[in-house]
Amino acid sequence: MARGARTAALASALGLVLAGCSAGEGVDLAGAGEVDTEDYLEVAIAGEPDQLDPHSTSAYFSFQILENVYDTLVEPDAELEMQPALAESWEVSEDQLSWTFHLREGVTFHDGSAFTAEDVVYSYDRIIDEQLANAYRLAAVEDVVAVDEHTVRIDVSQPTPALLAAIGGYKGMAIVERGNVESGDVQLDPVGTGPFEVVGNAASTAVTLRANEDYWGEGPHVPGVVYRFISEGTTALADLTAGEVHWTDSIPPQRVESLRRNPDVEVASVPSTDYWYLTMNQARPPFDSRDARRAVAQALDREALAQVTWYGSATVNQTAVPETSVWYHEYAPFEQDLDRARELAESSGLTGRTVGLMVTNEHPETVTAAQVVAANLAEIGVATEIRTLDFATWLDEQARGNFDMLLLGWLGNVDVNDYYYNQHHSEGSNNAQGYSSPEVDRLLDAGRTETDPEARKELYDRAAERIVDDASYVYLYNPDVVQAWAPELEGYEPRPDRAVRFKDVRLEEGTG
Amino acid sequence: MSSPLLRFLARRLLHTAVVLLGVLVVVFALLQLVPGDPVRVALGTRYTQESYDALREASGLDRPLPVQFLAYLGNALTGDLGVSFRSGEPVTLILLDRLPATVSLGLTGITVALLITFPLGTWAALRRGSAADGGIRAVSQFGVSVPDFWLGLLLIIVFSTVLGLLPPSGYVPFTEDPWGWLQRVVLPGLAVGVVSGSILTRYVRSAVLDVVGSDYVRTARSKGLPRRTVVGRHVLRNALVPILTVAGVQAATMLGGLIVIEVVFAWPGLGRLVFDAVAARDYPVVQGAVLLIALVFLLINLLVDILYAVVDPRIRAS
Repeated sequence: MARGARTAALASALGLVLAGCSAGEGVDLAGAGEVDTEDYLEVAIAGEPDQLDPHSTSAYFSFQILENVYDTLVEPDAELEMQPALAESWEVSEDQLSWTFHLREGVTFHDGSAFTAEDVVYSYDRIIDEQLANAYRLAAVEDVVAVDEHTVRIDVSQPTPALLAAIGGYKGMAIVERGNVESGDVQLDPVGTGPFEVVGNAASTAVTLRANEDYWGEGPHVPGVVYRFISEGTTALADLTAGEVHWTDSIPPQRVESLRRNPDVEVASVPSTDYWYLTMNQARPPFDSRDARRAVAQALDREALAQVTWYGSATVNQTAVPETSVWYHEYAPFEQDLDRARELAESSGLTGRTVGLMVTNEHPETVTAAQVVAANLAEIGVATEIRTLDFATWLDEQARGNFDMLLLGWLGNVDVNDYYYNQHHSEGSNNAQGYSSPEVDRLLDAGRTETDPEARKELYDRAAERIVDDASYVYLYNPDVVQAWAPELEGYEPRPDRAVRFKDVRLEEGTG
Repeated sequence: MSSPLLRFLARRLLHTAVVLLGVLVVVFALLQLVPGDPVRVALGTRYTQESYDALREASGLDRPLPVQFLAYLGNALTGDLGVSFRSGEPVTLILLDRLPATVSLGLTGITVALLITFPLGTWAALRRGSAADGGIRAVSQFGVSVPDFWLGLLLIIVFSTVLGLLPPSGYVPFTEDPWGWLQRVVLPGLAVGVVSGSILTRYVRSAVLDVVGSDYVRTARSKGLPRRTVVGRHVLRNALVPILTVAGVQAATMLGGLIVIEVVFAWPGLGRLVFDAVAARDYPVVQGAVLLIALVFLLINLLVDILYAVVDPRIRAS
């Protein structure tokens, strides 16, 4: 399951649109034409959403739109800490097994129907019962109960401090409306409680949103948003500078530097919650030796890797969690040190060997990064044989443990548990490298159920140090979220989780 | 119409149908070789063994290949090309939705190519060795050498970013807003048309040169016919047969160029559809789109053959 999650998360972030087979709806070609979109905010996203059902899609392009259409019970702020959204407040029972959420009153869906506790129950039950994309996030949930019209209780099987992140981390956990789902309209014409509602869906050219007049929160301050699909970054930037669009994230990394010098464009980048790593198969010599793994960790030039793959639009990091997260822990023991690396390689029998490095052309940055890794390892007397596979084969080979080294990334993490448990717990579902440390197991188990945030962070900090020291993963960098917009767009903030929110933005008068 | 022409047409139609069947077989076979399991990709995060088996069965991918092929063929003949793995929409509808954008771009490209080709090619040939001839050859060499996507980006930078004359991307249907459509089709139309047009210009030039040097043209000239009549009636008409051959191939090649150009200009046509569908392993859409493109390709060839027969009656007999 989790491996599937990675497949999809990776694929969608890189622009592949994935989704399932469900009965289709016709294409509403007329929709967008009927709305006067003169004063609307125009944005260019890099690809077309596959469908707009938040529980079914896994495509980032869908979520770029749905972020503004749907709400979750709680939602992450810019530091990714959970804040009230559809739930105004919540409390946890003494035994930590029961969470009670007090829902905001007077909230309506875009079709005018009232939002109640039943909608929450319906949404979560749908995800769990139909085993939809995010069912694993609710694995600890035993029951979801509507206590009264504005109160929901979630019962869990064990203390689950990450529950808020699980239900609010992203719009895949959105609260949907039953009628909209049962009619099948949710796929193209979704009904949510968010700041904007979908009014036009001209498949293949644009999706149009109109401001929700009855939105429960602040905003929106623009009458609507038109999403256009422009995959070629040069074209999107030309549209931006020509005033055809106000915002885009379809930006070739090599253009970022020159964009920063352009006074007519605002550019911002923040480290994302995605991380890229290299790992080694500990079931095979020579990487069953910790020293051999540390030799690799010590040999890598992370700055060069970030430069080559992202033209510098990535922040090097030796742990998984980016510095923008509350879970960040500063720990960086492996600056490139070739002498030290050679010593370790020598003593562990790595020197003189040829090791395989498995990458996939589905994620071209792994292929590029592999060249740098191979050059770095050559300097310490290790030859690298790069194997470039298609992703399905890559996943198979990984599952069968048929690799020496591999390079990949994990995307869209919110809670610190997402960063470490499945990858480094000896029972973890994605521990393909075969890492096993009783101490790390203990720390990660404790972290899952520790409810005091400070104590919890302490547990993960210690686990992270151990994981880095043992070189279970050799962490490389967090790619930046790079977005650009026109100066007349005010109040926009890029976020590390790549959620693109337009409810607070304004378009200055007389421009755009 | 003479009956040899009808027989010729019947033969060519049959030929087209056989080739189309061959295309179907090849596309079907090639898709089996593409790495990546479509069911697995389609399921994404919902991957479990049960859902995998269920979807495999529902989409018929568990059946033996010959059975899958026959089923596909049977459905295709009735216009049913299956449903998209991604969106669940019928492939036929998706293709019909994208077709107008591609057709309007393709026709613009052909128009641009023809506007360039005949005047320039003929002019260069008739003034062989002059500065104009050299200039035209140099420019067409440039047009032949540049990749179409690069030309597209160059056009965007010059006409949109620097000069601010035309919108860099987007599409509006001609029927909704003809002026908006024209503004948006010019740049991608140029990008597609210039490359094909440059190649064709060189062919027109050499075809015209061949004919100009022939005996019957010298005879026509010696009879004192006006230059316009000689060029129009004798030179161009006779040069047309070799040009048609290349033009047919070029028009078809242009379809390939459209894939890239549509991606560059965010043009919602068949090309971009194929691009996205391949990336997402959306086999039914890839299959349907390739089939449609092959059909267009074959129709162009058929048209060229018919034009041959009209231009040069000797070809009907052979």
